Amino acid sequence: MSDKLKQVINQQSKKNEVDTINVNDVVQLVGFIIGDEEYAVPILSIQEIIKPIEWTRVPQTPAYVLGVFNLRGSVIPLIDLRLKFGLKAKKHNEETRFFVLKQGDDVAGFVIDRLTMALRIKRSNIGPAPETMAGDESLIDGVGKQEDRILTILKVNKLLERDF
Amino acid sequence: MDEFQEILQDFLVESFELIEQLDQDLVELESRPDDLELLNGIFRVAHTIKGASSFLNFDVLTHLTHHMEDVLNKARHGELSITADVMDVILESIDLMKTLLAKIRDTSEDSGVEVEDCVRRLDQVSGGGKIEAPVVKEAPIQEATKEEVAEDVAQLEEEAEAEEEIDYENLSEAEIEAEIERLLAKRQAEDKAKREAKQNAGESVPTPPPAPKEEAKEAPQEKPKEQPKPAPSAAVVPAKPKAAAHDDEDEDAKAAAPAKRGAATVEQTIRVDVKRLDHLMNLIGELVLAKNRLIKINDDVEERYEGEEFLEELTQVVSIVSLVTTDLQIAVMKTRMLPIGKVFNKFPRMIRDLARELNKKMELEISGEETELDKSIVEEIGDPLVHIIRNSCDHGVEMPADRIANGKSEAGTIGLKAYNEGNAIVIQITDDGKGLDAEMLKMKSLEKGIITEKEAEMMTDKDAFNLIFKPGFSTAAVVTNVSGRGVGMDVVKTNIEKLNGIIDIDSEVGVGTSIKLKIPLTLAIIQALLVGVQEEHYAIPLASVLETVRISVDEIYTVENRSVMRLRDEVLSLVHIGDIFEVKRVLDSSEYTYVVVLGLGSSKLGLIVDTLIGQEEIVIKSLGEYLKGIEGIAGATIRGDGGVTLIVDVAALMQMAKGVKSTALIEDASASHAKEKTKPSDYVIMIVDDSKTDRTIMRKSLEPLGVTTVEAADGQEALNILKQGDHQFDAMLIDIEMPRMDGYTLAMEIKKYNKYKNLPLIAVTSRTSKSDRMRGVESGMVEYITKPYSADYLASVVQRNVNFKAEFL
Repeated sequence: MSDKLKQVINQQSKKNEVDTINVNDVVQLVGFIIGDEEYAVPILSIQEIIKPIEWTRVPQTPAYVLGVFNLRGSVIPLIDLRLKFGLKAKKHNEETRFFVLKQGDDVAGFVIDRLTMALRIKRSNIGPAPETMAGDESLIDGVGKQEDRILTILKVNKLLERDF
Repeated sequence: MDEFQEILQDFLVESFELIEQLDQDLVELESRPDDLELLNGIFRVAHTIKGASSFLNFDVLTHLTHHMEDVLNKARHGELSITADVMDVILESIDLMKTLLAKIRDTSEDSGVEVEDCVRRLDQVSGGGKIEAPVVKEAPIQEATKEEVAEDVAQLEEEAEAEEEIDYENLSEAEIEAEIERLLAKRQAEDKAKREAKQNAGESVPTPPPAPKEEAKEAPQEKPKEQPKPAPSAAVVPAKPKAAAHDDEDEDAKAAAPAKRGAATVEQTIRVDVKRLDHLMNLIGELVLAKNRLIKINDDVEERYEGEEFLEELTQVVSIVSLVTTDLQIAVMKTRMLPIGKVFNKFPRMIRDLARELNKKMELEISGEETELDKSIVEEIGDPLVHIIRNSCDHGVEMPADRIANGKSEAGTIGLKAYNEGNAIVIQITDDGKGLDAEMLKMKSLEKGIITEKEAEMMTDKDAFNLIFKPGFSTAAVVTNVSGRGVGMDVVKTNIEKLNGIIDIDSEVGVGTSIKLKIPLTLAIIQALLVGVQEEHYAIPLASVLETVRISVDEIYTVENRSVMRLRDEVLSLVHIGDIFEVKRVLDSSEYTYVVVLGLGSSKLGLIVDTLIGQEEIVIKSLGEYLKGIEGIAGATIRGDGGVTLIVDVAALMQMAKGVKSTALIEDASASHAKEKTKPSDYVIMIVDDSKTDRTIMRKSLEPLGVTTVEAADGQEALNILKQGDHQFDAMLIDIEMPRMDGYTLAMEIKKYNKYKNLPLIAVTSRTSKSDRMRGVESGMVEYITKPYSADYLASVVQRNVNFKAEFL
């Protein structure tokens, strides 16, 4: 009996060790789909994820800026990532979500096609953005690999930056 | 320590308030050097600050104020006349005092600011021009020798005793004056003696460091007064000099303005942290939004449960809530109001300095300084006013010789006036200088490439005056200290526009210039007119709306590609809000339209809108960093239904209107060209019925034709499907009685859209009366099928209406 207990304790402590290692060199991301690609942003940059609600068009803006919406009393811009990435507009459906990203005082909502999952990726599994897409102006922070998936990790500060 | 901090805070607040008053009084004093009351007041301020600062051990400040006091005292007794030079020194010393106080506020210390230079000059002035031996850095008192200290204390005690003996209450004004003079003379004698002693001491023994220690041992009681270092035994003695100072002050106060003191005690105020007020204002904003929402819900409920008893009660409660909210909002707004005098106060001094700097003679006339406006605006308005006034002084008012040559008085007059006008405050800055020359302004702008030749030709004088607000514009040949960089007026425009304000310039060459700033009383909550265009709503600040008129489309004329209309006896240029905000035209335009007449300064514009929704109180919210600076949009507000409505920036809209061609009034002729039908399933029919059985029967009836069917359970759902535009419908079968939206309403909604004008709507219903049929036709139905019907009949009606091709049968 005590042997078994020891075993369990050992196993647990081992697990804890693994966990502590993970915390240090693991990045927590939330993945989502736009078009056929999977993208991800750091979990801490997400203020909330909501189902689509009504928004108001704002004139004199590029097509990908859908307008503004009311999030519990705050007026927040809404950006369609499909249009921003050069894809055709798609009607919102059951899976469409608004991703509300926040960095400092900058907040904006982004329309995505579908959520995938929250995931942890080891830093060592994240490669740099392809050279042709790298640089300060690029939206891409890096490319994460997990099992057979490839995720494009986006720069939140670039997403929240006005570029028109 | 906390107690000390508390005292310090009080001291700082009091001192800053006093100094603000001081600046103004001093400038006034220059024009009325004989005004004893004014002098007494100024003297009292210097004295109060000196007394308090010595109590708090701020030696540098004490040192400075002490010398100021000397000069002022001499002036008070007529031993010194206040000339401009004397005033320069005094003003300089006050600036220094401000610096010191700011330093104390930031660091709780007053060291590190050089005052000796100024003190020396003060002494020069008070000594009648004789230059005294340079004063050693530390204050004389600190270096006083032991004997003197003893002497000093003895004197002080004597003084205190003397003061106790006299009952000031029973003295006449003249007697008090004499008494003050006696005490001051005594003190000055002391000071002089000390200074001499110090000089002697400075020559022989340059203040040995152990001396204070010795002193502390032998005379522990005197120590606190003589030394800046705090000591445990400090408690008793410091009170003395302070008490003496206070007595002096009291006397002065009684002598100078006995009435004023009475008034001061009646005033009941409380200092509140601005953050709390801001928070309160935000909360009120939320409350106003909630109130709007409540009113909307009440309207909906009223419509639905008409005649029910509880309705009356609900309506009552809602109106009370809305009334109280409005009152509350006004009350909070009032607590945030400050008199604009707070800003105006610094200008007499500025004008004076500028006049001396520019060698001009100028007078400032201020009126309406008691006009109140929101604190946040008071803070923002200061800078623009400084720029405008500097500009008026530098460019407006001419040199005295020129003025006389032009038959004007030698001194130029700058007027600063504030008054209320409706829901706004107007600040008017006038000068009687040379005025603005429109032609010259155009020339300069052309030279600098700010405008093109063609633009210059088209410009009215008023437009030309506005050129002074363009960035980079300057008429000054040389950049002076005062102006000429071409930045200032640009700052004015941006700041005023940030406050939703309007600038209006008027000028006449040789006569003068007048600049009017019209600023809303508060920033956060405004009255707005809500208008609709197609399916969108916009809010227009009511302050800029002059009137609204309903006109028929025939009343709109086109002149040189621009729409105009005749409004009474003037011609008003028109622009469609849809053209400015790129609104897609999906709804059918009606024969009548509404024109909102916007007024800004002297310019007017008619804004064509589709509908007027009403007046509403709105809370302005910013669009945030990402969307800021969108042309024509001033912000957004949240409406009663939770939706966001954009607020129109009227100034920007008027600018944009100049470049917009009218297209919205021209019908969009390109109808949706239907695709060629190649198979029966290309025909799409929508079935709208709340009963699933009925929908199934209809679907089964149409199955033989092979057409595609889409189903909706009520009018609302049908409308949504239609709007989504997934299918190009060829016909709709509509039941009349449905929840949420009935068939008639649905038909009317559909017919509002241009592109569905020709969509056949077929009523399928059990209502058979003639009036029902009439309503059906009125709402735009083309066929009326009564239940029950045969499957073949339904199919044939549909066939007929969709032009079903025979070959598919």
